[in-house]
Amino acid sequence: MKKASAINAGTRLLVQLFLLALVIVSIFPLYNVIVASLKSGDEFAVNPFFPPKSPISANFVYAAVNGRLLKYAVNSLILVPSGLVLYLAVCVSAGYAFGKMRFRLKRPLFLLVLFLTIFPQLLLATQVFKLISLLHLTNTGVGVIVTWVAYFSPFGTYIMTTYFTDMPYELVEAARMDGATPLRILVQVMTPLAMPMIATIAIIGFQSMWNELPFSLLILQNPAARTLTLGIAMMRGEYGIGVPTLSAALVIAMAVPLVMFLVFQRRVTLGATAGAIKG
Amino acid sequence: MRHRGLERDGIAPYLFLSPLLILLAAFILYPVIMNFVASFTEWKGYGAMKWIGLSNYHVMVSDQAFWTSISNTAILVCYIPVSTIVTVFVAALLREGLRGWQAYRAIFYIPNLLGPVIIGVVFSIYLRDDGSLNLLIKWAGGSTVRFLTSPSIAINSIGMVQVVWVHLGFGLIYFLAAMNGIDQGVYEAALIDGAGFFQTLWRVTVPSIRFAIEFWVVFNFIEVFARMFSYIYTLTRGGPGYGTFTLEYGIFVQGFEKFRVGYSSAWSAVLFIFCAVISVMQIRLMRTRNS
Repeated sequence: MKKASAINAGTRLLVQLFLLALVIVSIFPLYNVIVASLKSGDEFAVNPFFPPKSPISANFVYAAVNGRLLKYAVNSLILVPSGLVLYLAVCVSAGYAFGKMRFRLKRPLFLLVLFLTIFPQLLLATQVFKLISLLHLTNTGVGVIVTWVAYFSPFGTYIMTTYFTDMPYELVEAARMDGATPLRILVQVMTPLAMPMIATIAIIGFQSMWNELPFSLLILQNPAARTLTLGIAMMRGEYGIGVPTLSAALVIAMAVPLVMFLVFQRRVTLGATAGAIKG
Repeated sequence: MRHRGLERDGIAPYLFLSPLLILLAAFILYPVIMNFVASFTEWKGYGAMKWIGLSNYHVMVSDQAFWTSISNTAILVCYIPVSTIVTVFVAALLREGLRGWQAYRAIFYIPNLLGPVIIGVVFSIYLRDDGSLNLLIKWAGGSTVRFLTSPSIAINSIGMVQVVWVHLGFGLIYFLAAMNGIDQGVYEAALIDGAGFFQTLWRVTVPSIRFAIEFWVVFNFIEVFARMFSYIYTLTRGGPGYGTFTLEYGIFVQGFEKFRVGYSSAWSAVLFIFCAVISVMQIRLMRTRNS
């Protein structure tokens, strides 16, 4: 369908040029990283902008092996999916309770959850660190997973709540008539119906945990336990790492989010607005 | 309709909520409350707390780093209108159905995908004194701009990168979705009346997406007050000096680098108040929209 437009054909061309320029400005830093990752230190010194004359893979090998990014990627690929399973269980069950069940403290508890969604990690960090040490969970995967799930589930719960609230109540009623227990209704009736939104919060949760820095920085102090995100953040400050090596490390770290985007593009963009726009 | 409020589901809802509530109590509620307690003590983060009354607050209000953190936050807040205007404007252009608008939307979204740490490190390379952007500036005949190493410029670099550049992609998806809900007939009527692009934008589009803009501004406030640490850590490490401190970063340095946890808790108390106000604003917006 053609939209009504206040822009005529001549102006359209100008607008296209403007947007193209904006894209170039916006993408140039990323382009820079990609070409730098394929150059030797010597070539980078004389040719910082243009594609390499003879692309090399040495930077990637160095970043993955000596820079231990491979190890960190494995850590992330273990921690984040495990955290995600826990996160989904917490958000779906709490979202269902808020969205479809009736109980006295519903309103105050839901407001509390909303209120607690935005506090920054650093505001909580010193006390969380004390708690984690008390439980002997520093430098452990469990420590960082539990912290992530606690920190990110209020938002996931909020999204699941809005979704369950909009589902017809008759579904619950019918299942209850058949004598199903609340747990059965949640697991066998509501969860399958909520799959589209569960997939959306799964992506939100994955991105949140994958990119999380402050808690992992404080809890995972043993270098061998680092996540990929933490590894990249620490590598930046290391003495003597050249731009080509650091760039190769960045390209490796970009791989997972970019592949995710290409595979789940529609759902990723839906997830981006899930918290703000309903339906 | 039945009166749903009359019967309740007994204990089951509390059981379903218990994992969430236990985690929240331990990892968010307890830390927030304990921060206030700790802010009246001298404490290293371990060992005994020594009660010192309001001393931490006295030290804080005469600490130059604290006021720099506050003014840096104020500078970042100034980038919110910039980001809002740029984003709504570009979204309105894309709404016109230009060829390739979906590709533009996807490309601008990439920074959001990569996350703060990758973006921060990418720009820490790009904006160095001898980085690509400065090479370009020199090539064009300018002189080196110390994007990350001059205290007055560095916080603005962070504002441009995070508040404007990163948010553009998210904002485009968000505002385009909101604009999609506007009745096409209104635009056709405006066109027949001879309204130009800017007039239509100002008279039709902006009023129709007012709610979305309000949400967007609150979201940006959250980002500025509560989601800045990863960018600062990767771009400047708070430097030069404490030139790019925000409250978050100051808490990190005082609490985890200098082990003055009692003192950092006083900063946390201030940050809590800002965040609580923003959180309440957000909840009120949600409720006005849902009703």
